[in-house]
Amino acid sequence: MNDLLLALGTNRRARSVVGALKLPIPLPEPLARAAGPWEARPLEGESVVVSGGPLLAAITGALAEAGATVLVDDAALLATARAAAEAYARPVRVDADSRGASSANASGLASSANASRVHALVLDATAFETVEQLRAAYVFLSPRVGRLARSGRVVVIARACASTASPATNAVRTALAGMVRAIAKEVGRKGATANTLIVAEGAEARMPPVLRWLLDRRSAFVTAQPLTVTARAAAARSPAVVRPLDGQVALVTGAARGIGKATAQALAAEGARVICVDRAEDSAETSQVAQAIGGSVVLADVTAADTPQRIIDALGPRGVDIVVHNAGITRDKTLGRMSPEAWDAVLGVNLAAVIRITDALLAGALRDGGRVLCLSSVSGIAGNVGQANYSASKAALIGYVDALAAQVAPRGITANAIAPGFIETRMTAAIPLMIREAGRRLAALGQGGQPEDVAQALAFLASPGAQGITGATLRVCGGALIGA
Amino acid sequence: MGTSNSSKRRAVVVGGMRTPFVKAFTDFTRLDTFALGAAATRALLARLDLAYREVEGVVWGGVILPGGAPNVGREIALDLGLPPSAEAMTVTRACASGLQAVTLAAAAIERGEADVMIAGGSDSTSNAEVKLPQQIIHAFAPLALGKPAVSDYVAALGKLGPIGQLIPRQPKIAERTTGEVMGESAERMATRWEITRQAQDELALRSHQRAAAAIASGRFASEVTKVEVGDGTWVHGDGLVRGDTSLERLAKLRPAFSKEGTITAGNASPLTDGAAAVLLMSEDKARALGYRPLAAIRSWAYIGVDPADQLLIGPALAVPKALDRAGVTLADCDYVDLHEAFAAQVLCVTKALASASFARARLGRETAVGEIDPAKLNVRGGSIALGHPFGATGARMVTTMANELAASNKQLAVLGICAAGGLGAAAVLERV
Ligand SMILES: CC(C)(COP(=O)(O)OP(=O)(O)OC[C@H]1O[C@@H](n2cnc3c(N)ncnc32)[C@H](O)[C@@H]1OP(=O)(O)O)[C@@H](O)C(=O)NCCC(=O)NCCS
Repeated sequence: MNDLLLALGTNRRARSVVGALKLPIPLPEPLARAAGPWEARPLEGESVVVSGGPLLAAITGALAEAGATVLVDDAALLATARAAAEAYARPVRVDADSRGASSANASGLASSANASRVHALVLDATAFETVEQLRAAYVFLSPRVGRLARSGRVVVIARACASTASPATNAVRTALAGMVRAIAKEVGRKGATANTLIVAEGAEARMPPVLRWLLDRRSAFVTAQPLTVTARAAAARSPAVVRPLDGQVALVTGAARGIGKATAQALAAEGARVICVDRAEDSAETSQVAQAIGGSVVLADVTAADTPQRIIDALGPRGVDIVVHNAGITRDKTLGRMSPEAWDAVLGVNLAAVIRITDALLAGALRDGGRVLCLSSVSGIAGNVGQANYSASKAALIGYVDALAAQVAPRGITANAIAPGFIETRMTAAIPLMIREAGRRLAALGQGGQPEDVAQALAFLASPGAQGITGATLRVCGGALIGA
Repeated sequence: MGTSNSSKRRAVVVGGMRTPFVKAFTDFTRLDTFALGAAATRALLARLDLAYREVEGVVWGGVILPGGAPNVGREIALDLGLPPSAEAMTVTRACASGLQAVTLAAAAIERGEADVMIAGGSDSTSNAEVKLPQQIIHAFAPLALGKPAVSDYVAALGKLGPIGQLIPRQPKIAERTTGEVMGESAERMATRWEITRQAQDELALRSHQRAAAAIASGRFASEVTKVEVGDGTWVHGDGLVRGDTSLERLAKLRPAFSKEGTITAGNASPLTDGAAAVLLMSEDKARALGYRPLAAIRSWAYIGVDPADQLLIGPALAVPKALDRAGVTLADCDYVDLHEAFAAQVLCVTKALASASFARARLGRETAVGEIDPAKLNVRGGSIALGHPFGATGARMVTTMANELAASNKQLAVLGICAAGGLGAAAVLERV
């Protein structure tokens, strides 16, 4: 599991040697991650530059609430931004771009901040409809991207592409996503990420918690992705900045180790009571996980006929708010040599059990405003040699949550999938070295992710602030080229 | 709790009295918190000519509580010779302790538990118990509490580390969770709300000028008692008010909490010794005894904020909460009395109250709580000029505002206090 280059990358001296000798070794930048539960002000002390746009007030408010110092790219924006930031007593300043060409330094306070590094750049492109307007993306980002700090963030906020838009408008919106994918590769060397936050008309109020998470260290391994916020799912709980899962009950299958264990821990850290499901063989590990987080255990094979009912009995009349279908297996063989048992086992655990358990819970135990979360995989998007069964099952979940989302939206329930890329787990440690190296390096961030990265994404999608995200598959892949 | 309701018993302020407030480690150094509290209470009962046997209970507020007798209220009652049956308790809510005592007494009266209560508070910073480093306590406790042999003494000495750790530490007003001294928190708030040094000094100057005017006009004669400090020496009046200070002098003072900071000894409340006491009764009882009540306690509210964020912003949330409970608006209030821990903190709170954006985000309402006319704010000066004996300040403010309402024929006053731990406190007084 040791990533030698990443370890070398943490050594500043080694980095400078490699740099000075112009060695063709891509030293990945260690990602800044956050330990412990969500903080009230995750951006305390950080500077974020914001462009002008229709969502300026909402963006500034979200940033100020998170503790950031907001810099606007034009003095004309000060009044609007200040009014929004005042709620959290955060001053707003004018950022002059690093080429010194920008507007007047109106606040008089800006000069020292101007040259300094910034944690994030937020471009509001929701009004962009023409090629001329698209140019503003270049004007805003080009002079500043070099000032992005290590593990910094670029977020472009845009409207959804739609075949119903005018062709030129749709082209411009699609261009933004392409630009962000390119930026993600450029800034990945600094451990920084770039993502598109697509906000549907009428869903603006659901944008701030998503922006907040994208700027948080907890989204460290999510890059080059679009996140779409809509008003599809009915309103449920109001967002909370800390302990978002306070008082909720979560069910995690395959919780004994790896991503399942990290997820159970992350959900518990945000206030949920977690019921850990795993097979009887893993009784000891599962109990240990549950005990450490004050959760409980249901020992069951997810494919067993009586498992849905046993889970419902264990949940009791209170029911469940969050269901994480994490249990999964691989039985790799190229298709011609794959046994029917290997096909059946993988589809049985990874897909059939998910559908059966979800159906059973939807009949009553899953509460309104709840969450169905499935573990898909980049393999389900790209297709891997020897994984026809696995790729089928993981692709299936993408379609499953898409359709399920529409069905449960009136109840305020969201259904989403996470597609992890190369994550450093027991499973990936077993992959042959060369393939493993390729898995790590062929990504914008040049490294593998941690189980915590996936767990944090799941905790976010489980939170009330993610009410706008449903039917989606979020890649947590470090910007992997595969399937992109 | 703390709401107005016409069918309910009303708690009224019959009168209030305080000791002069003096700088810590000066005139009152030989008076402890019991002596200060007893002086204020004795003068209060004497002035109102109330028979001691009428007093049913004492609620006292304090912040620096003496370890040996932390129920300060009971000690004061016993020292004064109140009837032994008069019960007593002592509460602490940092700088809001004095107001806490008043509102607890009011609650007891509203609930019919009592008709006559004394509420107040006192603190003697000069007599704060110096804390020994934990290491000394751990090393020597076995000797003090057990049956030590000679070898135990040697062993205990061996457990002590370098001498620097053995020097008793100066008590600091630092947050336990953040380690930040209150002045540093206020300094950060001043930066975030963009409060200038000049605005702070102007507020401090006004505080001094108004307090000095109140003293000069005799306005405080009815609420401040002279106190004997031993061998026939008396302290007659407040010791900290500087009527002759000026913006120029204030501008010359060095920042106290950070090199580039804006908070100075001149625009912060000083460490102070003093006590204040208030006599509260049910309205019927007061009238039966022949008193003309000064004001009624109409509502109150307490709230907490994150001490790591804006430690002293609490009043901006507590004030609207108390106003709502009273069913009135800030604009309805004739007087606004805000505890001046720091001029910067008062200015942050007034800015927050005037901000619609703050109201939307923090109070869930569309419009700002309101602008405060400086002519209505802290009309008799505040804690910067008068001083701030932590536990006494709330009772001082209640007394001053009750007298103000009674004397000026005005209707409503709202009080706001910030306190350590990120607490905010507020109360609404109305004319009877
Ligand atoms: C701010 C603080 C550190 C200052 O302490 P200090 O240095 O002992 O203060 P001093 O009273 O000695 O004042 C320092 C100087 O300012 C001068 N000064 C103070 N107020 C002045 C005024 N209004 N005008 C002119 N000069 C003034 C003093 O004369 C003194 O001058 P000197 O050094 O020439 O004698 C202290 O008062 C403090 O900690 N206050 C905050 C208390 C607190 O946090 N309370 C909790 C609030 S809820």
